[in-house]
Amino acid sequence: MFQDLRHAVRSYLRTPGFTAVAVMTLALGVGGATAIFSVVDGILLRPLPYADASRIVRVARISATGTTDGAFSAGDFLDVKREAPSLVHVAGYREDISDVTGTGEPVRVPGVQTTAAFFEAFQVTPLVGRVYTAGDEGRGALAVISEGLWERQFGRRDDIVGTEIRVNGTPTEIVGVVPESVRHPIEADLWTLAPGEVPTSPIPSDGLADREVQYFAALARLAQGVTASDANAQLRALGERLGQQFPDTNRGESFHVRPLADSLVSDVRAGLLVLLGAVACVLLIACANVAGLMLARSLVRRRELAVRASLGASRWQLARQLMIESLVLAVAGGAAGIVLAVWGVDLLVALAPEGLPRLADVQLDWRVAATASLATTVVGLLAGLAPALQSSRPHLNEDLKDGGRTGTASRTRFRSGLVVAEVAVALVLLVGAGLMVTSLFRLRSVDPGFRTTSLAAVELPIPQSRYAGPAQGRFYSEVLARLRAHPATAMSALVFPLPLRGSNASADIEVEGQPATERPAQRLAELNMVSAEFFQTMGLRLMRGRGFSATDVDGQPPVVIINERLAAEFGDTDPIGRRINLGSWVTIVGVVSDARRQSLEAAPKPAVYLPYGQFVLPFMSVVVRTEGSPAAVASVVKAAVRELDPDLPVETVRTIEEIIETSTGQPRFRATILLAFASLALMLAAVGVYGLMSFSVSQRTSEMGVRLALGASPRQVGALVMRQGLLLAAAGVGLGLALALAVGRVIAGMLFETSATDPRLYAGLGALLLTIAALACYVPARRAMRVDPMRALRSE
Amino acid sequence: MVKLRNIEKSFRHGLSQTFVLRRINVDIAEGQFVSIMGPSGAGKSTLLHILGMHDSAWTGEYWLGDEPIHQHSAKERMRLQKQHIGFVFQSYHLLDNLTVYENIDLPLSYRDVKKTDRQGMVADILDRFAIVGKKDLYPNQLSGGQQQLVAIARAVVAKPTLILADEPTGNLHSDQGREIMELFKRLNEGGTTIVQVTHSEVNATYGHRVIRLKDGWVLDEN
Repeated sequence: MFQDLRHAVRSYLRTPGFTAVAVMTLALGVGGATAIFSVVDGILLRPLPYADASRIVRVARISATGTTDGAFSAGDFLDVKREAPSLVHVAGYREDISDVTGTGEPVRVPGVQTTAAFFEAFQVTPLVGRVYTAGDEGRGALAVISEGLWERQFGRRDDIVGTEIRVNGTPTEIVGVVPESVRHPIEADLWTLAPGEVPTSPIPSDGLADREVQYFAALARLAQGVTASDANAQLRALGERLGQQFPDTNRGESFHVRPLADSLVSDVRAGLLVLLGAVACVLLIACANVAGLMLARSLVRRRELAVRASLGASRWQLARQLMIESLVLAVAGGAAGIVLAVWGVDLLVALAPEGLPRLADVQLDWRVAATASLATTVVGLLAGLAPALQSSRPHLNEDLKDGGRTGTASRTRFRSGLVVAEVAVALVLLVGAGLMVTSLFRLRSVDPGFRTTSLAAVELPIPQSRYAGPAQGRFYSEVLARLRAHPATAMSALVFPLPLRGSNASADIEVEGQPATERPAQRLAELNMVSAEFFQTMGLRLMRGRGFSATDVDGQPPVVIINERLAAEFGDTDPIGRRINLGSWVTIVGVVSDARRQSLEAAPKPAVYLPYGQFVLPFMSVVVRTEGSPAAVASVVKAAVRELDPDLPVETVRTIEEIIETSTGQPRFRATILLAFASLALMLAAVGVYGLMSFSVSQRTSEMGVRLALGASPRQVGALVMRQGLLLAAAGVGLGLALALAVGRVIAGMLFETSATDPRLYAGLGALLLTIAALACYVPARRAMRVDPMRALRSE
Repeated sequence: MVKLRNIEKSFRHGLSQTFVLRRINVDIAEGQFVSIMGPSGAGKSTLLHILGMHDSAWTGEYWLGDEPIHQHSAKERMRLQKQHIGFVFQSYHLLDNLTVYENIDLPLSYRDVKKTDRQGMVADILDRFAIVGKKDLYPNQLSGGQQQLVAIARAVVAKPTLILADEPTGNLHSDQGREIMELFKRLNEGGTTIVQVTHSEVNATYGHRVIRLKDGWVLDEN
């Protein structure tokens, strides 16, 4: 056995070319598959790290228009909590900026304000102290911190429990520390207990009875023995009852639950599964390549195997030798693959778009590494073993005589089949990547409706506890005045929500003079709160009427500006001077050009702009048109804020181009990874074609010699090889095109303004693959052209 | 030692049948040195491979000592082959990846001889064949004659009673060929039965008998 091992290692060292190609092929297949599967496993497949995690559900509201935006009003939440016995530990939560002071430097940490049952829904065991529970409801001023914050801010102090900190200025007691694994549904460092039965509202509302201001999310645990569909039936019935009871706010609305693990990843599931499919293709090509290489090697070695058999080696001894050789290769390839996988996982996490959920759960999956190594080993083993088992006694004589040059036709056909399959799968990947890249390119060329150059933005949320009511507007006005006084930020404006950051604010509207549409088909418009300079700063054009002025403030008649999309709904009537109802009646004073707000993909929707002087929120952002760098803008913004509130941290200033880059992160991630896999597949397929043709030429050296001796020109001999290789590649391209059409349908939903059956793309990539195949055939063809007939015939 | 009765081998091509060997009846006594001769296609090598049990697709009776090979299973034939037969090829068939020492060691390893015993046996053979100095070289570092010498050393290391040689000097020039034939003669004088296939009348003179084949038939024996 040890001797076999030694011989195997030595034989690989003596054929470094073969060994390098085989090990790299294995490594790329195993490494790629392991890295991508680790990401998919961490994000999609692995259960959340909580006890009985499948029972944790997100509870969402289904709006009258059918969208499941999830946000709850206080009234609806309390009804669900009280009247849905299929749910226990129903908890509300909302993201909250949390400025923590009283621990040295003030720090802003990602925070969540939750109701009392939040940790019970997760059944979290704290590292230190306790978590707040239903029994603490109404107490407020209690906080649980993450292990990370405990470490960074408190140096893992033992006496952390009972420590008093100020969260957004409010004295708050830390009751416990939870482990890093607690990071769902929102990654946070600080959880604060809401002072009442629901999280505090960012805008004025009617308290616990309010059903119009929907501003927080909810989750719960399914009661023991209850399924999600049981709970959904109960919630539907509750929704219908509330619809009858409160027709103005609830007609047509309903509620539903969905496992939290599913709801976290619903946006990325399809994309990740496409990547998983892509990596499976690469693994398939790698397997085919390894099988082809092993087959070629074993054919070349038939004489050696025959000699061994004639010296007394039994079939088992021959098989064992080949198995050990395959294992040596698998171990080397697997080890290199795992190194690649470790890098690959790090690279994927680094490349991952902002907002990819559960990224922190991603880690190298050793089971996958082992399975992928095993798969390639078995394939290599079977391909290499078959000829050994076939070197049965009756053929030994022939094998000894001709060294395995005859009787190889069926195996060469098999290997040709492998190459056709490799080319086909490579084309499928190329087409997939081509479609994704085209789609990304088209997405990036979309005109968002505003000028993206020389535009910087920073989100400037303020804690409600310190800025209530009119103080919010005063703060933002002061900031704006300071920015406009500085030459670097002279053209500045306020806005909520910041375009392309995914935030949403919308309202049902009713147009004066038009019959009020019955719910649930009311007209939905995007809401934007802006300062007067917003349109000029962003580069939106005023089409009709006037912009906002300094006089559009509280106490004056409420006014709005609408976009062209909404203006179009007035038909031939001029919308200027008409009124719309957003809960209260407001007058339209202007029309501006359309702009995309939610994302580049989504076409502009009907939109309403409200002057922030009349409608302010504590989450405004600043946009600045500047020729200076973001850093210069940042220092001006920081100075302005520091003058007004030294305890208020300022977030990173980013250019709008960076924001667009982030907003297209997911399609870019998909396109980048697919392109990488497609390139890899192309390379492996080229190696496959080259390997086969090279082997074929070496097997047919004497035939080439005879042809040359009989008067064939070297060019004719070269053409013979090229023709053979290109015919195989063409068969692969044909098969690949058919497969790609089917795969195109699967990914069509992820494409932006790109046809999944674009004939130019298919033809172009088919031609590319044929060109690469031609290049791969050229080297063996050159070798065939240089065969010396004398030597070739003598070697026979 | 070897008794062949009515050995026949043929191939079917559709309805027709081509005979490679016909009604071969041969006796070879222990200690004999026999040469099989004949034109190309006469069936010489085929007969040798049947004797070497590399070929099992034939009819008739083949007795090796008291063992009826024709009745034995493949496994049993394998055992007898390992026990009794050494094979020497025209083109040496040394394994390129193995050193001289390892090539000679290979048949012993396939016979599950213990490593310590193998070391002694290989050292003895290297000494007898005067190739101790070449034991760490690879085949491609040796001349043709030296390679055939190693191939014969490999054939005899497991102490076979019958050596089958298929044109052992076919790839060698005359001086090297003569040395190899002298070596066979010495082995034969030591008691090993040898059957060689050869085209060379000179080489045939080293043996006791010549069996001439033509078109698969035994033409004459002397």
